[in-house]
Amino acid sequence: MASESQAKRTVAHTTCYMCACRCGIKVHLEDGRLRYIEGNRDHPVNRGVLCGKGSAGIMTAISPARLTTPLKRVGPRGSGSFESITWKEAMRIATERLAAIRATDPNRLAFYTGRDQSQSLTGHFARMFGTINFAAHGGFCSVNMAAAGLYSVGGAFWEFGEPDWDHARLFLLFGVAEDHDSNPIKLGLGKLKARGAKIISINPVRTGYSAIADEFVAITPGTDGLLVLALIHCLLEAGRIDTEFLVRYTNAHHLVIDAPGEADDGLIARDAAGCELCFDRATGSLIEAKAVGTDPALIGTFSLPDGRRCRPAFALLAERYTDPQYAPEAVASRCGLDAATIRRIAAEIAQVAFQQPVVLDQPWTDTSGRRHPVMTGRPVAIHAMRGISAHSNGFHTCRAIHVLQMLLGAIDTPGSWRYKSPYPRAIPGGPPPGRPVGAPGATLDAPPLGFPAGPENLLVDEDGEALRLDRAFSWEAPLAIHGLMHMAIARAFEAGPGKIDTLFLFMANMAWNSAMNPGETTRMLSECDEHGNYRIPFVIVADAFASETVAYADLVLPDTTYLERYDCISLLDRPIGSAHGPADAIRIPVLKPDRDVRPFQDVLIELAGRLGLPDFADARGKPLYSSYADYIVRHQRKPGIGPLAGFRGADSRAIGNGAPNPRQLEQYAQNGCFWVHELPPEQLYYKHANQAYLSGAKAMGFIEEDTQIVLQLYCETLQRFRLAAEGHGRYRPPERLRARVTAFFDPLPIWYLPLEEAMTDRARFPLHAITQRPMAMYHSWGSHNAWLRQVMPENRIYLHRDLATELGIHDEDWVWVRSRNGAVRCQARTMTGVNRDTVWTWNAIGKRAGAWALKPDAPEFRRGFLLNHVISEYLPGEGGGPPHSNSDPVTGQAAWFDVTVSIERCDAQAPAETSPRPGANPLRVRPVAEGAS
Amino acid sequence: MTMLPKPRPGAKKLGLVVDLDTCVGCHACAVNCKEWNTGGQAGILPDYDKYGANPDGVWFNRIHSYETEGEGCSRTVNVPRSCMHCEDALCVTVCPTGASYKRAEDGIVLIDTDICIGCKLCSWACPYGARELDEVEGVMRKCTLCVDRIYDEKLPPAEREPACVATCPSRARHFGDLADPQSKVSRLVAERGGVDLLAELGFRPTNKYLPPRRATIPAEPPKARTSGGFGAALLGLLDRALSR
Amino acid sequence: MRPDASILLLTTSTGFGYGLLAWLGVEAALGVMPAGRMRTLVAAGLAVSLVLVSIGLAASAFHLGRKERAWRAFSQWRSSWLSREGVASVLTYPVAIAFGIIAWRHGEGVWTRVLGVAALGASLGTVYCTAMIYASLKPIRQWHNAHTAPDYLLYALFSGALLLAVIHTVVLGAPGALASAAAAAAAALALVAKRAYWRHIDSQKPLATLAAAIGLPKGNEARPLDAPHFTENFILREMGFVIARRHTAKLRPLVIAIGFASPLVLSVLAGLAVAPMTTTMLALVCAALGLLTERWLFFAEATHVSALYYGRPI
Ligand SMILES: Nc1nc2c(c(=O)[nH]1)N[C@H]1C(S)=C(S)[C@@H](COP(=O)(O)OP(=O)(O)OC[C@H]3O[C@@H](n4cnc5c(=O)[nH]c(N)nc54)[C@H](O)[C@@H]3O)O[C@H]1N2
Ligand SMILES: Nc1nc2c(c(=O)[nH]1)N[C@H]1C(S)=C(S)[C@@H](COP(=O)(O)OP(=O)(O)OC[C@H]3O[C@@H](n4cnc5c(=O)[nH]c(N)nc54)[C@H](O)[C@@H]3O)O[C@H]1N2
Ligand code: SF4
Ligand code: SF4
Ligand code: SF4
Ligand code: SF4
Ligand code: SF4
Ligand SMILES: [Mo]
Repeated sequence: MASESQAKRTVAHTTCYMCACRCGIKVHLEDGRLRYIEGNRDHPVNRGVLCGKGSAGIMTAISPARLTTPLKRVGPRGSGSFESITWKEAMRIATERLAAIRATDPNRLAFYTGRDQSQSLTGHFARMFGTINFAAHGGFCSVNMAAAGLYSVGGAFWEFGEPDWDHARLFLLFGVAEDHDSNPIKLGLGKLKARGAKIISINPVRTGYSAIADEFVAITPGTDGLLVLALIHCLLEAGRIDTEFLVRYTNAHHLVIDAPGEADDGLIARDAAGCELCFDRATGSLIEAKAVGTDPALIGTFSLPDGRRCRPAFALLAERYTDPQYAPEAVASRCGLDAATIRRIAAEIAQVAFQQPVVLDQPWTDTSGRRHPVMTGRPVAIHAMRGISAHSNGFHTCRAIHVLQMLLGAIDTPGSWRYKSPYPRAIPGGPPPGRPVGAPGATLDAPPLGFPAGPENLLVDEDGEALRLDRAFSWEAPLAIHGLMHMAIARAFEAGPGKIDTLFLFMANMAWNSAMNPGETTRMLSECDEHGNYRIPFVIVADAFASETVAYADLVLPDTTYLERYDCISLLDRPIGSAHGPADAIRIPVLKPDRDVRPFQDVLIELAGRLGLPDFADARGKPLYSSYADYIVRHQRKPGIGPLAGFRGADSRAIGNGAPNPRQLEQYAQNGCFWVHELPPEQLYYKHANQAYLSGAKAMGFIEEDTQIVLQLYCETLQRFRLAAEGHGRYRPPERLRARVTAFFDPLPIWYLPLEEAMTDRARFPLHAITQRPMAMYHSWGSHNAWLRQVMPENRIYLHRDLATELGIHDEDWVWVRSRNGAVRCQARTMTGVNRDTVWTWNAIGKRAGAWALKPDAPEFRRGFLLNHVISEYLPGEGGGPPHSNSDPVTGQAAWFDVTVSIERCDAQAPAETSPRPGANPLRVRPVAEGAS
Repeated sequence: MTMLPKPRPGAKKLGLVVDLDTCVGCHACAVNCKEWNTGGQAGILPDYDKYGANPDGVWFNRIHSYETEGEGCSRTVNVPRSCMHCEDALCVTVCPTGASYKRAEDGIVLIDTDICIGCKLCSWACPYGARELDEVEGVMRKCTLCVDRIYDEKLPPAEREPACVATCPSRARHFGDLADPQSKVSRLVAERGGVDLLAELGFRPTNKYLPPRRATIPAEPPKARTSGGFGAALLGLLDRALSR
Repeated sequence: MRPDASILLLTTSTGFGYGLLAWLGVEAALGVMPAGRMRTLVAAGLAVSLVLVSIGLAASAFHLGRKERAWRAFSQWRSSWLSREGVASVLTYPVAIAFGIIAWRHGEGVWTRVLGVAALGASLGTVYCTAMIYASLKPIRQWHNAHTAPDYLLYALFSGALLLAVIHTVVLGAPGALASAAAAAAAALALVAKRAYWRHIDSQKPLATLAAAIGLPKGNEARPLDAPHFTENFILREMGFVIARRHTAKLRPLVIAIGFASPLVLSVLAGLAVAPMTTTMLALVCAALGLLTERWLFFAEATHVSALYYGRPI
């Protein structure tokens, strides 16, 4: 290699952000120019590997779609006409607008953030601003997984857990194409393959991970719950469950009050001190469920001291799922599978779990003080994501999977699914959603997104109607712990200016690929009332690129790209920890911006300072932080707890808990921009009941208490909502929602037909339509990347060959895909590795003409399409009542995958072009006005 | 010199082994290859119509996906395709200029782009479609097996492997000396029945592909302990004393 | 394979040129040129031949990505047929010129005969090298076979004979028995050879199946699901050219009729002294059109095994 240029080469470490996986990267620079990005081999997330997106970072850094200055709208919304303004002007506009809102009704600011990784900052901003109308992308993403996990096992498939790649012998993968753990999953699959473990992929489509699975189970979308309950049926029927695990680590033996009609029916029986009770067969008496050395009953009916009947939670479960309606033979055809296949998979699970346990030579001590000489595990690992999540029955399906894991004793044991530190956390995972305290201009008493423990924690008015714009934490979606971001624009439009003044969007392309029905969404963004005012008065968009949504903003705050700023991947948010230990990371600027852009976090902190928000400004209104970097180092959420857990304290040796350390960022940078705390072997498994682990986690400030986290086979919280719907307690759902809450708040997993499917004429729309993540594209961000768009500048609708033959459809034919909501014209491709009744496409490939600085004839506009056009954000309400959102009734999770469609060949005259093709307005930016300072 | 080198005793045969059983088709190797080679010694790998109607460019490695049917099972197979560094490299012998050559010491097939006249003949000679014309420079390009990495003494030894191998997230790519029967790659090929692509064409590719396989779990179908409803089914199991 | 205009021109034009040179050589060697007109014949023939050859060779440079480096192509004659073609074509010039000079100066004679043989050898040798460029390409079954080299030689002799007949007619007023007979015979043979070639490539099995191309054992079938990239790339543009069957069905008879049958009939007529100027010229024009089409088909119908990876027929 030429040594001359070598001299000017430098290598900087930082964290990738071509997607949310957060891999460590080494950035090679030559004379300050980007030359090469490679994986950091020391990094706990990616161990040196880098995906296709990460490897294309160079092309994103020079993309012509990058925004270059703050923009003020001059033409109508959506027209793309803007003028450049100075940052001074931009900050003035934003500050004035937000100050006025805060002085009157802070809730009139709706702040929604997307794929960012600074929720602990943005959420804190919202809390200090005093608006309940804050959410991040979780609601349209995977809140079903998060909620079901956090309410069942204190962790979740969604980012808070991972399979034990080193010991699993059987791996079940439900509905995953790519996931957030993009590289870790691939590294893990590679490990499983190298060890010859068996991988079963349950998925309607056989691509990617499913392609390399040893067995592909082409399930019909929305029916996984049935499959899992059938597996549970088989295991119960054969008695192949881990009863020891159940009584030690779950609430299987807790006694459930059986008093139909009474206010505590279905709740867990407790003693006077509030301790859950069980029946000890050894002494024949009711005793505290957590007592040690007992022989708890798992079946039977017992009497409480007051004479009422009660039964162990397990008994209720066993009674339900041994019923023949859950037999494989009863569910198979609905799932599109053979009963024999289901029985064989159950057999394989039982075989591996009980005949091939993993025993690690590692003593440990549980929370009952019992010393175990070894760690024994059931090497059946499960992972599940949006194939489960994005259905309106996803919460219960995910719960069913967790129940299956509990029955197998396959939670955080060697070979099974494991918590990623700092999880597990207490169940439910934190304080209830914050409420305003004091007059306008005050704050919320807790972060705006929280964990309702019962009806009393909902954000509803006297009539039980939603307080939040998106109706999260209302009776329509009580456990909407991530909000309902997919409803924000529709609800803001519906409610009109009275409810919302400013819609503030950060890093979310909500006018396009995260919109259900983008045509309607953009109409709502640009429609005026009778006075000619926009129904959504003001829209601020903070984006780095000329996305579809930017065209609908009144004020655009141009962000830097990921190589140009500080970022903090905090334990307070969605950390990068693994089962091996907690970890967090930062991004540092390795390139200087060559345009008039600012890191959004700097801007937000400045805005908070100008608004004088508590925690961002002192009592006299003087800003506390000069920049995000400053905030990362000095902000303390609680004494000793800040955004970063590593290198804390004066000596920078404290972990988790310690005083701010002015040299912290420097030390992170020296350490490759991450910090990881390797747990000692004794703490690696059984974290929910591992005393050493829990005490350590408490010391580091991850959890409040170091007591056992009892896994919730039976979810009492759900029963509390159901009791309210049955008319008990002070907080009750409005009449129209009572039946709904009663039906869906079952403390044991249930399966029901996805809501939209149930109300659709299946004769007209017989096919399921779903999307998958392409591995080399991240949502809408890849199309402006010159390398990634070569891989996928357009997409096809894929269907089974047999179906295609039946319908006379051939490869590359133009077809109409129609749903009850609309139609999209696209090109077909046939395959065999797909469920016979399912059509699918790659997600977010089609682009709105004019966006992303692509040329007018770009295939992204002409042949690329969004399935979202046939998805509706609304479902008819019951009995002609107000419409529901198209969401899971428990969590508000957007039900992207519930839509059913028909598919038919276009006639020969149809233009060879996708439809709908809204807009054709590239950004047109007038230079900064004369005289502007 | 476009005569193929005479086999030398002890010479290395460096190449890649790609595991089709593990490749998820993520394109990481392809993009990272493009990135490495664009930023490295070999010079930019051009792109054409970057933001327009026909985005295209030069890639040394491309990932296909196929559906296969056979032996009573069907599957999807992802197949990365790059230069195989053939022993009988026709691409080399047809080259009129000597730009294409195969190295005697390690078998790597390279193009000297300072000599190449862009006659394309070598690309016609390659059955694997591994050579692509750089339409900006007018010269032929192809995988270099990352010669500018694997021998770079400034890199720590662990990093002296091709970019595509280093980056592959599922570790489906392996690099090593296929002349040494003891090397990791040779053992993998032996254990997993590694094959040549298009073996019948006789190019004797150095790169090998490990075919897809299927793990199985022999299991007895679990029998219902008893027939007839709940209670009976579980009693046997739950009779056993538990200890909490 | 993509039929690149510069290559079509190269191979046909040099075919005519070397073919003519070869026949001039034959005539000289056999001593059958009318003594009085020999100078004119040789001069005219050589001029036409070398012009055509030079046009062809110049055209081939347009095919190169780096024309200014074309000289490098002469270095690898030990292994490369393209290099050999280059060397042979360059060597043919002095031979042809020497032949011309000697013939001009000495007319009939031993040296003229010797150099005639040399010109014959050099020109056919060059054509053979050209043919071998294609015939040696194993991934292209339509080229890598026993037909390609003899066919190229045959087409060169055929086209050269037609040219010779024209030159004879222009210079001598009649094509003469040898030229006409040679043209007619070459046309007949070329026609038969072309049909044999088509029969051969039509009955050939593809070189490999997609399953084999991706290393699957026998008994498997594979179908492409997704290509690496959506838009056409170099490989597909260059080697993925697919010609529709109906085009083949139309063009093949055309080649036979215009390229071979018409010149055959016209040459016979010319030999029988039926409007020799018109018939020889017409034969030449027909052959030129026919051979260009034939050459277009030679490329268009050729499939490259690498196109398999993209699911294209091979
Ligand atoms: N049909 C269908 N629709 C879906 C899904 C599906 O599976 N099917 N999935 C859903 C899910 S799970 C999700 S999470 C959503 C995702 O949907 P979004 O979060 O809306 O999608 P993105 O395309 O990631 O948009 C993020 C925006 O961030 C911008 N951006 C990128 N980098 C930066 C940066 O550094 N700074 C700033 N400020 N902005 C940046 C991009 O330009 C883009 O405008 O889509 C949802 N929509
Ligand atoms: N490369 C890349 N990586 C990403 C993203 C990206 O855009 N690109 N996005 C990130 C984001 S925001 C998210 S939320 C994650 C999501 O990552 P994934 O969970 O992998 O999400 P999807 O790609 O939507 O995959 C859903 C899978 O479920 C299957 N499926 C659909 N319906 C059903 C069903 O009813 N049952 C079963 N069993 N399967 C079903 C689909 O076929 C598909 O394979 O990925 C993250 N990672
Ligand atoms: S998975 Fe890829 S894009 Fe995402 S952070 Fe890691 S390297 Fe970057
Ligand atoms: S794969 Fe092709 S380019 Fe590479 S050595 Fe073999 S023939 Fe040559
Ligand atoms: S294109 Fe270049 S490398 Fe290939 S044969 Fe021609 S001169 Fe040789
Ligand atoms: S060895 Fe290097 S040049 Fe070859 S495919 Fe891999 S990364 Fe590309
Ligand atoms: S990086 Fe690895 S898994 Fe991805 S396509 Fe390449 S070989 Fe396959
Ligand atoms: Mo998501």
